[in-house]
Amino acid sequence: MKRDLLRVNMSDLSITREPLPEGWHRYGGRALTDAIVFSEVPPDADPLGPDNVLVFSPGLLGGTSAPNGGRISVGAKSPLTGGIKESNSGGQAAHALARIGIGAVIVSGKPADPLARYCLVIEADGSASLQRVDEWAGLGNYELADEIAATRPEGDRYATIQTGPAGEAGAKAAGIAISDPKGYPNRFAGRGGLGSVMGSKGLKAIVISDKGLPYTEHADKDAFQAALKRFASALKEHAVTGQALPTYGTNVLTNILSEAGGLPTRNFSEGSFEKADDVGGERQRETILARGGHEHHGCHTGCTIQCSRYWMDKDGHYKTKGPEYETVWSFGADCGIGDLDEIADLDRACGNLGLDTIEMGATMAVYMDSGKLAFGDAKGALAALLSGAEGGEPGRVLWDGALATGKAFGVAHIPVVKSQALPAYDPRPVMGIGVTYATSPQGADHTAGYTITANILSVGGNVDPLKPEGQAELSKNLQIATAMLDSVGLCIFVAFAVLDIPDAFTAIHDMVEAHTGDPWDPDALMQLGKETLVFERLFNEKAGFTSADDRLPGFFKTVPLPPHNIVFQVTDEDLDSVFDFVPETAAQMGVS
Amino acid sequence: MQIRVALFAHLSRFQPDGEAGREPRVFELPEGTTVGAVIESLGLPDEPRVLFVNGRHAEEGTVLSEGDRLAIFPPVAGG
Repeated sequence: MKRDLLRVNMSDLSITREPLPEGWHRYGGRALTDAIVFSEVPPDADPLGPDNVLVFSPGLLGGTSAPNGGRISVGAKSPLTGGIKESNSGGQAAHALARIGIGAVIVSGKPADPLARYCLVIEADGSASLQRVDEWAGLGNYELADEIAATRPEGDRYATIQTGPAGEAGAKAAGIAISDPKGYPNRFAGRGGLGSVMGSKGLKAIVISDKGLPYTEHADKDAFQAALKRFASALKEHAVTGQALPTYGTNVLTNILSEAGGLPTRNFSEGSFEKADDVGGERQRETILARGGHEHHGCHTGCTIQCSRYWMDKDGHYKTKGPEYETVWSFGADCGIGDLDEIADLDRACGNLGLDTIEMGATMAVYMDSGKLAFGDAKGALAALLSGAEGGEPGRVLWDGALATGKAFGVAHIPVVKSQALPAYDPRPVMGIGVTYATSPQGADHTAGYTITANILSVGGNVDPLKPEGQAELSKNLQIATAMLDSVGLCIFVAFAVLDIPDAFTAIHDMVEAHTGDPWDPDALMQLGKETLVFERLFNEKAGFTSADDRLPGFFKTVPLPPHNIVFQVTDEDLDSVFDFVPETAAQMGVS
Repeated sequence: MQIRVALFAHLSRFQPDGEAGREPRVFELPEGTTVGAVIESLGLPDEPRVLFVNGRHAEEGTVLSEGDRLAIFPPVAGG
């Protein structure tokens, strides 16, 4: 399989295509964006300056028919955390890039004119151009998608990558939207402010056409198909990936987290939400079906889990995707809002402005905690969110995330690690996820090492969430495995099956080997995960991060959370053990 | 003794009143009843499940007490 780097320089508007360097041929997705950011971005670079790069990379299996193999990694130095960032998304872009033979798009530099806007157009024949689109400045993601559609020939098949007004404004909570199979710009590389890196480069959108292109070629087609079949059966067979996720979507988690006392409510002051069932996945499904909505589809072609769905308004018109569990939590329980239509309004506003719903919901809860807005006031929250569009207050402060908002309004409990807001699991009654939040190079990120599996869901064994023992080891293993999946380009939801069905892991290995034609062994796959994390840890170290940054905010260790009335108890020593493999792996890689 | 039982996702239709819905129903049970005995009386399908008593993970052998809340989920996940 042939993979090139497409370099786009926004300072001189040049575009060049070059082969992937030999040393990186085992890297894709997150490993590749990390390798590029590590090698090309000075650790002290201004994230919104010309020295930062923005990288888009499909995983190793991108462009193939591998089930759930169409995830894309977006990398840069993060304006939110100040460290390295890999933000992962579904949508159609990964497959399109891979089928054109592009291993990564690297956007560098910055135009001299801050008002200039460009659209990078990559055609199916591999030709690429930058088109001046100043008239698209300030467009919301949905309007922008319509404008792009008007430029494309009839019958085209293309994916879009977009930044909204929040990204153009340099907001630290701005995400990057990626189009789904129907063309809605509703999948997000949400976390870490990468939308503003895109905005800082004057790059309003990327359009990638893969019309008429076949799947990427395999080194050994028969072996690939045989492994694919085994992998697909495992996903079908497992109760989570075969039944619960397609039926109820990610929001099936709301009730179980509330039951376990781990659903952060009203800015992390309680662990159960009295209106959990009013906004949970079961109610969401009932409402979607009653309104003629679209439940049960993939966020990208080739997804077999199909946890995505469309939310319709009361008149049956498309409003937004999902909303996903994380969004239902952030604007729901965390803000004390118990109505799915109100949550969908906030989700749609974030989607159109181009804001990360996790960061923004958590931020709104911090704002409510300041007393400026009552918990549960959805209309007030929407107005506050939208006020940023004209550069107004408090919106423009909120758009910079939970830390900026908590500081501006004098809030005591600000739930962030490395300046990034905690997602939808409280680390006091779910201690494993606290280890991931504290230690991940990404900042507080549940997907980096999803211990909810063994802590709450009885997937991949059981580790008591209310005790500190075993959490560091659990988080470490999951962080390594996740970095591998993100580099292969598989959706991390395949892990639910992989953790319980050993052959599913072997099947991943066999698909990677048959596709790339390189000899891999299962250890080499885990080595890929370790090397990915080494790039991230070393970059952050050079950017000034120390073990003091691998800690939760103090109140999680001192303020007990009802109903279990428990604090986070994992020791600092355990936290510092998670990345004990870094020196050895770095030496093997020859990096420092 | 009285306990409350809540069933989630596709299990909610196994409530004795035949109505779906996740709100807990009150059960009158003899002292010493186990979680497993409740599962059997409900006729839940024979498949993996996640059990909570008062918000803590429980086993089928867990003995219930007056005022307990039992919650039963099929295997679920997301994120």
